[in-house]
Amino acid sequence: MSGGVDSSVAAALLVRQGYDVVGVTMKLFEDGAALPDRPCCSLDATSDARRVAEQLGIPHYVLNMVDHFGRDVIADFVAEYARGRTPIPCVRCNTFTKFSDLVAKADGIGAAFVATGHYARALGGELHRGADDNKDQTYFLWGIRRDVVKRLLLPVGEMTKDETRALARELRLPRVADKPESQEICFVPDGDYVQILRRELGEEAPSLSRGNIVTANGDVVGEHDGFARYTIGQRRGLPGGSADPLYVVALRPETREVVVGPRDALLGSQLSASEVNWLVDTPPRVGDTVQVRVRHRAPLANAKVEAVTARAVRVAFETPVSAISPGQSAVLYDGPRVLGGGFID
Amino acid sequence: MPAPPIYLDHAATTPVRPEVLEAMLPYFDAKFGNASSAHRWGREARAATDAARERIAACLGAQPDEICLTSGGTEADNLAVLGGWRVQQGNGRPGIVSTPIEHKAVLEAVHQAAREGGDERLLAIDPTGLVNLDAARAHIRQDVALVSVMWVNNETGVIQPVAELAEMAKAAGAIFHTDAVQAFGKLDVDVRSLPCDFLSVSGHKFGAPKSIGAVYVRRGTALAPLFFGGSQDRGRRPGTENTPMAVALATAMELALSERDVEVARLRSLRDRLEAGLRAAQPDLVVHGHVAPRVPHILHCSVPGTDSESLLMSLDLKGVAASSGSACQSGSVTPSHVLTAMGLPADVGASAVRFSVGKLTAAEQIDRVIALFPDVVRGARAMAGKF
Repeated sequence: MSGGVDSSVAAALLVRQGYDVVGVTMKLFEDGAALPDRPCCSLDATSDARRVAEQLGIPHYVLNMVDHFGRDVIADFVAEYARGRTPIPCVRCNTFTKFSDLVAKADGIGAAFVATGHYARALGGELHRGADDNKDQTYFLWGIRRDVVKRLLLPVGEMTKDETRALARELRLPRVADKPESQEICFVPDGDYVQILRRELGEEAPSLSRGNIVTANGDVVGEHDGFARYTIGQRRGLPGGSADPLYVVALRPETREVVVGPRDALLGSQLSASEVNWLVDTPPRVGDTVQVRVRHRAPLANAKVEAVTARAVRVAFETPVSAISPGQSAVLYDGPRVLGGGFID
Repeated sequence: MPAPPIYLDHAATTPVRPEVLEAMLPYFDAKFGNASSAHRWGREARAATDAARERIAACLGAQPDEICLTSGGTEADNLAVLGGWRVQQGNGRPGIVSTPIEHKAVLEAVHQAAREGGDERLLAIDPTGLVNLDAARAHIRQDVALVSVMWVNNETGVIQPVAELAEMAKAAGAIFHTDAVQAFGKLDVDVRSLPCDFLSVSGHKFGAPKSIGAVYVRRGTALAPLFFGGSQDRGRRPGTENTPMAVALATAMELALSERDVEVARLRSLRDRLEAGLRAAQPDLVVHGHVAPRVPHILHCSVPGTDSESLLMSLDLKGVAASSGSACQSGSVTPSHVLTAMGLPADVGASAVRFSVGKLTAAEQIDRVIALFPDVVRGARAMAGKF
């Protein structure tokens, strides 16, 4: 229970359906003065979660997961940027913290199910996209172990966000019904992730040091203050003056170069992913056509499976896809079913 | 039908005793006057407040003018430590001696005194949970203004050698404060036999409501107030006197004293029964402070391979209320600063639970806790297992 509308409504629905519900809020990092009022994880959010639990008449616990979240999520986040990749901490949190460490806690109290406020559906031991296509969160959930998927209850996955908010009002949860969405990364204040990198890596880190902005043929067109400030597809912070707008098309950590090019240069016709987790009995085979998402909210793109193992996959797109970023997730779908996912190489 | 829940957290707080509630109620209602008013309502409240102060003093072996009523233990500790320090400040004695196992109300007040120019010296703690007296002798010197050591540690229940420490402070010319919040009602707390200058108590630990406490201030020892306002309580504690709470504290103290011998024996037998039962159920149980003298109502122990958070959650879901170290504001459990100071390994400190028996406890409850404990530990191990 984050103190937000989705997990609050999820808990309320389960109580109404007669489940014996125990509410927990994960404390994931130390709330410093720099994070006075984050939509999740903050003291205020914890208080909101507790008030909702009190209103529902269920016990509520705050679980201290600061150490493990720091190790499995924040440290990885920093290391990925330092390697010139674009990390996706919500996937790591779901994989390691929420649906592993927290599930261990659920095991310890003998809980049969684990419920969250995610927009996704757990059907017959498989993970399916949520009913609200705009809100679907399966892009972040592909790393869950299959035995955990079998125990998942995702009550708001059947609803649209508007329906969830309406239900929050109907269930008399006004405190959370109109809360703003949490869009940013919970442990990054004001969306300024560079601040975290500076703190963890030091000002002198190679990824935060001056380097060249170059074109694909090696022409130097400018300088930058650290490649970790750039992500693929970014336009901001690049030199102007050229006829066509420039985009970041690649990062080269070994030479500290940020490679830029025109919009077309962002297009990629294939990708490979590793640390893959399959969520179905029969993973796709070479030659199968699947739908792939390479970024949260990006459109699904048809692709053909070119190579596949238990832990890796390579796909080729029917039509080239823009801004395939190493470190982000590639999630494979068959219609509403999530087949599996991995981190883009 | 589930069995009724079991409250084993009397060191955190206790229910208000019916006798106490009954005694205080008239002062909310018919006898609502302000004790500082010069009319019949005022006189009525004044009489009750004066009488309460005399009764509180008598329970501590003190004189009525030596009793300063506060909003609870935290204010009492702050008033003693900071009020005592601020009077001494600048007299050529920068030293403030305390221990790392104090309640936060003392520890943070000591830190504040250090920010105001004090030289903070926290004494070493032995693995037994006792203050190291050699360290005390080395640090309590002529340059010390104030020594503050708790009588009973609130986590382990270990009884500190306050008599020796008070003598050392006296010999060095320093003032001595003891936080007796967990001692009163369990030990013989009498300022005639303990040469302390300040001593604090908190009512809700023995049947009074929350938000009433007192600090004993020995005649002749100066104390700077924390608050500024009227001249109530000789200017030491301005603010309209809280007559119903003063009556409540007096009544609860008298009850605790009159029942003490019988109750202490009863609590000791319950605690020992719990300790023996848990040890038998869980042979690797680590009991803290058991080689030192302990108060009769506290059992503080660790279960290797678990963590406090998981143990407490499992216990609570099975209807058993216990606690661990200090809880942070968000409610998550943090490792005990007391066990850390005792030099215990981090995993032992992180897996501690405190059970404290009291008025609500019966032998049958103890047996139920012993019976369900193996299940609790199994669950807590499962939670910790993936970590």
